[in-house]
Amino acid sequence: MENYAIEMLNITKTFSGKAANDNISIQLRKGEIHALLGENGAGKSTLMSILFGLYQADSGIIKKDGEVIEIKGPKDANKYRIGMVHQHFKLVEVFTVLENIILGCETTKFGFIQKKEAKEKIKALSEEYGLNVDLDKLIENTTVGMQQRVEILKMLYRDNDILIFDEPTAVLTPQEIEDLLKIMKNLANSGKSILFITHKINEILAVADRCTVLRKGKYIGTVNISETTKSELTEMMVGRKVEFVVQKKESVPGDVILDVNNLVVAGAKKNKNSVNNVSFKVRQGEIVCIAGIDGNGQSELVYSITGLEKIKSGSVLLKGEDITNANVYRRNKLGIGHIPEDRHKYGLVLDFTLENNLVLKKFEEERFQKFKFIKRDEIREYANKLIEEFDIRSPQGPTNLARTMSGGNQQKAIIAREIDLNPELLIAVQPTRGLDVGAIEFIHKQIVAQRDLGKAVLLVSLELDEVMNLSDRILVMYEGEIVGELNPKETSVKELGLYMSGAKRNVKEGN
Amino acid sequence: MPGWLWFLLQFVIIASIFAYFIIAGKKAKKENKTTWFMKTWKKDSVKAITSSVMSIILGLVIGCLILVIMAIIPSKTSSLSLKTALDGIQLVFSGVFNTGRGASGLTFGFNGVNFGDMLFRATPLILTGLSVAVAFKTGLFNIGAPGQYLASTAVTLILALAIPTSVVPPLFVWLIAFLGGILAGAIWGAVPGLFKSFLNVNEVITCIMMNWIGANVVTILFDKESGPFKFLLDPSGTKNLAYVFKTTHNNVATSKFGLDLIFKGSQVNGGIIIAIIIAILIFIILDKTTFGYKLKACGSNKNAAKYAGINDKVATIISMAIAGGLAGAGAALYYLSGNTEFAWETYQSLPAVGFNGIPVALLACNNPLGVIFSATFISLLDVNGMQLKYMTPYNEYITSIISAFIVYFSAFSLLFRQVLDGSIKINLKSKFSKKSSATVEIVDKKDEKVANQEVSE
Ligand SMILES: Nc1ncnc2c1ncn2[C@@H]1O[C@H](COP(=O)(O)OP(=O)(O)OP(=O)(O)O)[C@@H](O)[C@H]1O
Ligand SMILES: [Mg+2]
Repeated sequence: MENYAIEMLNITKTFSGKAANDNISIQLRKGEIHALLGENGAGKSTLMSILFGLYQADSGIIKKDGEVIEIKGPKDANKYRIGMVHQHFKLVEVFTVLENIILGCETTKFGFIQKKEAKEKIKALSEEYGLNVDLDKLIENTTVGMQQRVEILKMLYRDNDILIFDEPTAVLTPQEIEDLLKIMKNLANSGKSILFITHKINEILAVADRCTVLRKGKYIGTVNISETTKSELTEMMVGRKVEFVVQKKESVPGDVILDVNNLVVAGAKKNKNSVNNVSFKVRQGEIVCIAGIDGNGQSELVYSITGLEKIKSGSVLLKGEDITNANVYRRNKLGIGHIPEDRHKYGLVLDFTLENNLVLKKFEEERFQKFKFIKRDEIREYANKLIEEFDIRSPQGPTNLARTMSGGNQQKAIIAREIDLNPELLIAVQPTRGLDVGAIEFIHKQIVAQRDLGKAVLLVSLELDEVMNLSDRILVMYEGEIVGELNPKETSVKELGLYMSGAKRNVKEGN
Repeated sequence: MPGWLWFLLQFVIIASIFAYFIIAGKKAKKENKTTWFMKTWKKDSVKAITSSVMSIILGLVIGCLILVIMAIIPSKTSSLSLKTALDGIQLVFSGVFNTGRGASGLTFGFNGVNFGDMLFRATPLILTGLSVAVAFKTGLFNIGAPGQYLASTAVTLILALAIPTSVVPPLFVWLIAFLGGILAGAIWGAVPGLFKSFLNVNEVITCIMMNWIGANVVTILFDKESGPFKFLLDPSGTKNLAYVFKTTHNNVATSKFGLDLIFKGSQVNGGIIIAIIIAILIFIILDKTTFGYKLKACGSNKNAAKYAGINDKVATIISMAIAGGLAGAGAALYYLSGNTEFAWETYQSLPAVGFNGIPVALLACNNPLGVIFSATFISLLDVNGMQLKYMTPYNEYITSIISAFIVYFSAFSLLFRQVLDGSIKINLKSKFSKKSSATVEIVDKKDEKVANQEVSE
């Protein structure tokens, strides 16, 4: 009999009576990359959290190297050399990279931390696997990509040999993803066993050896990657065929909705603007996409249009009205919908219920209140409608706390809320981050439907497929400036990449 | 009824309630069905209450241990024995019911004076507790309740005493003084809110400053020699302390609402009813209105509130003003009772009832209705402490120690909730056998806590 690195056998876990994992088994071979695929809310994070000791399974056993083990907490997991990179990172913002890596297993001498030894060990590790980090930087000043590498180093520093990656690529840029996949390959080659959760099937095809598919908490099957195809995997996962290319008609642009003129937003550093003299227009019935590598001013541009960040100079007009200095409330009222980049920071009040989150921008409307008293029943009814329409899955429906919903379903809740605002201008930043392919297909259709209704859509995405597929016009941002306008039908991913890296520009401003 | 019997009865009742809950829960779990009990149990409020009750019981138990230890330690001067310790324990648990001492020991029964006094002392505590709780809900720490309380005290007394009742009917004077006090508190609270909103100064710092500004302003107002309101000082007061007249001096006092008939001989008055009504109002505002929704949204995720178009600056200011107004209402009701006198000098500490709002809110998990009970409970401990002082050689400060412990424990209430949920299994063996470094423990605990909190909710 084969000795697996880790076996999780017949695992069942229920949350308030609903099974998140229903009799799931998964076997991880030594040195393999084993992908875990499933729709949003299928139970992937839950299963991995059980392996990492964050949750206790109701029933089922875990074996390591053929022996039954009990994992009661992260400390036990560490003992069995199991490490995990969480869907939402767990780093101490005000600590340096080094401090974060050694936190919890510092070597001390007379009570003093021996940073030097640690530093050497980390340096060796990062060279071995190509994990570039700046050890003395504070986490709050690092990019998401680096934070991820810190999380990986944390596992390696503890000599873990079972590595769990929960949607590591959702927050990365295409380049960073490529690097990460390479690193994972290296790790597997050096004998580590890897569990890899992702919604991007291409990534699975690129690195994984085998893939286990879950659906609605149940085990569907395990396949060898060498013997399968993209469409087979998606069908196993969602139970039907999925279209990867968005079907859409030719766009018929109408009146100008959003008009941005010479917009400048100050940067964190005094002498450099994060958005520098940007002008563009978005019309009714078109999807304009801002493409670019993360950190080139897209976020700041969006925040300044939505009123979350101050504008230094320039103007923003919405349907002809100057909103340069309007507050967020006014902008929302005028018809801006905003799917924010950071769902936990802006998108949700995590300790509110799903229904309260769904009316976050609407609770003051006539139908949800009378004399300032909230009409609970109306809200419930409305929430149920959205839950149905957008297939938002949570064990307790409208009364589920946003915090305990799966990442993808949190995202769906935000999208539902913003699209149902029926905004004149929909600003969607990374709208499909963390969604499964079925949900992505659905959301893309919704966005196109908004366009066809004559709304203006401003899309910000790092995902090149999404950019090429969805947009009618592409604006490329580089170092705070718009360096090119492209027609997705006449350009290629490669050319787009050249613009994004600043190697090429065409400025034909003032459309 | 003899004391020990009374005591036993209380215990049996409490123990059987607990036993019922535990047995019912275990049984339901085994049979894998959800009972009425399980459904109720799942509710957050029930868990919150149970964890608070657990902190209280633990605090009381520790208090009893202290009584016993004090009795056991041999000492020439003390007159403590195990017998007195037993008396003490009974009083700690049920001092309000004490009716004196009979031949066979302490006697217990309904004691109107104690009960009434408990309600009387609870009145300002409910309001300062609400004050802290409302601010907490908006994500603010109102440590300025003492200053707001003082500001209101001064304004209330000045208005209640200086407006001649020969011209204005006493009821109106009462109302003016009450509203004036609330306004003073609200202003005192709004200042830290303004600083926070517009200058981003942490409210804790400004609140503490406002506390001492309040203390000094009051000193100036009622200074014996030069204070503009020295004419309100009672000349018959003791020499070095300046006592302001009771409001009854001007025929102004809160109506008794018939409570004096139920609790004969106590200080109780209609203030407690007003306080409870205010608590219910605050509950309704926070839970049922769009205004409360806004405040809570700001409190639990400021960025998301901003994103949704809620003006978090305004919410901060209003929430602090309301918090201040509530603390102010507490002071107004306390002094308008007519049977309390106010004496003040700055070197005294700030009014404790302001600070005590913090444990009251904590114990109630910031629930406005819960505050009614937690405030009443804290004042019950006070009354028990007084009984301890009168009936035994112990002093009343034991109960202060107990309240302190209860507050400490209520800070652990999250932990209790996890134990209740069964998501943490107390595993003594592994706890003691592992000699891992302390940091690992802490870091992992934190992780676990986050995770378990998620599970439990
Ligand atoms: N702490 C919790 N309390 C209650 N329910 C939970 C908790 N954690 C997860 N769930 C529920 O369990 C189910 C599975 O969630 P899980 O996070 O494992 O999904 P997932 O497969 O990781 O999805 P995604 O791709 O969206 O991240 C969901 O319905 C979720 O709402
Ligand atoms: Mg997940």
